[in-house]
Amino acid sequence: MTSRRPVTYTTDGVVVRVIDLGEADRIITLVTPVHGLIRGVAKASRKPGSKLGGHLDLLRHVSVSVRETRTLHGLSQVSTVNGFRGLRDDLDRFSRASYISEMAERFSVEGGANQPLFRLLVQVLGSLEKAVNPEMVTRYFEMRLLQLSGFAPELSRCVETGVELDPADHLYSPDRGGLVSSEARPVGESALLPASLNTIKLLRFLARTDAGHADEMKVGEDENRQLSRILRAQVHHVLDRGLQSEAFMDEVRARPGNARL
Amino acid sequence: MAPSETAPSAAPPVARLIEAFHRLPGIGPKSAQRLTYHLIRMPREEAEEFAAAVLGVKDRIVLCDTCANLSESPECVICGDLQRDRTKICVVEEPLDVVAIERARVYSGLYHVLHGVISPVNGIGPNDLKLRELLERLRDGSVTEVIVATNPNLEGEATAMYIQQLIGPLGVSVTRLARGLPSGSDIEYADDTTLAHALESRSEIPQRQVDPTPGS
Repeated sequence: MTSRRPVTYTTDGVVVRVIDLGEADRIITLVTPVHGLIRGVAKASRKPGSKLGGHLDLLRHVSVSVRETRTLHGLSQVSTVNGFRGLRDDLDRFSRASYISEMAERFSVEGGANQPLFRLLVQVLGSLEKAVNPEMVTRYFEMRLLQLSGFAPELSRCVETGVELDPADHLYSPDRGGLVSSEARPVGESALLPASLNTIKLLRFLARTDAGHADEMKVGEDENRQLSRILRAQVHHVLDRGLQSEAFMDEVRARPGNARL
Repeated sequence: MAPSETAPSAAPPVARLIEAFHRLPGIGPKSAQRLTYHLIRMPREEAEEFAAAVLGVKDRIVLCDTCANLSESPECVICGDLQRDRTKICVVEEPLDVVAIERARVYSGLYHVLHGVISPVNGIGPNDLKLRELLERLRDGSVTEVIVATNPNLEGEATAMYIQQLIGPLGVSVTRLARGLPSGSDIEYADDTTLAHALESRSEIPQRQVDPTPGS
């Protein structure tokens, strides 16, 4: 027997997309723990006196009442659980949080409960607010998201031969989802990324740590670049394309505190 | 949407007009039908005036070379007005924001329209906005203040931060519109960010002499 969801319910959610609709409404997309991705209309939320507008801004963890309809749901009675203020006055953190929320949106589906993803999103946005090393918190999110979605990178054995890898420099194959022994060059493989021994150690550490410890990681420039390339390439492979927010994140990262055109 | 979906029994020209209205933002199928039937009942001269107004906008409106606001000529009315304070530029997201600020009749400086806001999740970055043109306007040193009047939401704030980083090194003062509780709202329903801004930007109530004599 299947239980029918109530027509109106209250849920937590993180706002990941806002689109203007008509004269004063907005379409809000939320990542929620039980109902997956929810798209709903917040009526008159663009008007200055709106009770909803201030709460339903991007990257806010809110509690919201959802009235289900056949098309767009109706959103009302919103209150903020966490506004993540630390993401709002720092361009670098904002750009990373945008990237993280876009990834969460792309890995979510409407009606598909995903409590671990929701918890991860809330946890990482909270960590990012005060992170000493926002770069590693971002890498941690990519790694955990891949793990939660069933695409955990294979980091112990060669994905080509199945043999346990020696402690040495190897390669990473996004197509095959793991490390390839430097001696086993797969035929017809297009994209193999370099993975030094240190990078492999960092990947393994990211796979079993939490956001707090990821923030404390000390990573060299070369390893950082390799980690970023490997995890982003893996995310691209799973999603079948890149993310819109990457360009801005890269631009801000390239010129911290110094915008240029 | 195909005309047949909009009004299955309507004559093709009527269905075409309904479809055209339906493409406009904020116009649903019912509103599109109402507008169409209103136009059908309209006297011919009024309908011609309406059509001429639509075509006039398409044929004659350009972006002002200086501020990127909508204009009938390469220089808009505001940029061409020598009475305005040319040391201040108010940066807004859209041309409609210029109309809103002008309606308040409290600002006499110039404007700059960005035509958007930084929105990473929609793939809109600084290079998609009229920021280069803004920088060009600041080069001669005559502007002393840039007022960033982007919307007080996350993307508007991020754009304001970016502008501050971009033009701060030029020595121009960059200010932001005050944020806080809107007139007529309830504190009970305000979100934490709005309340925080309202408290941070609180101001002293001016002292006024009150006559203690009752009934006077």
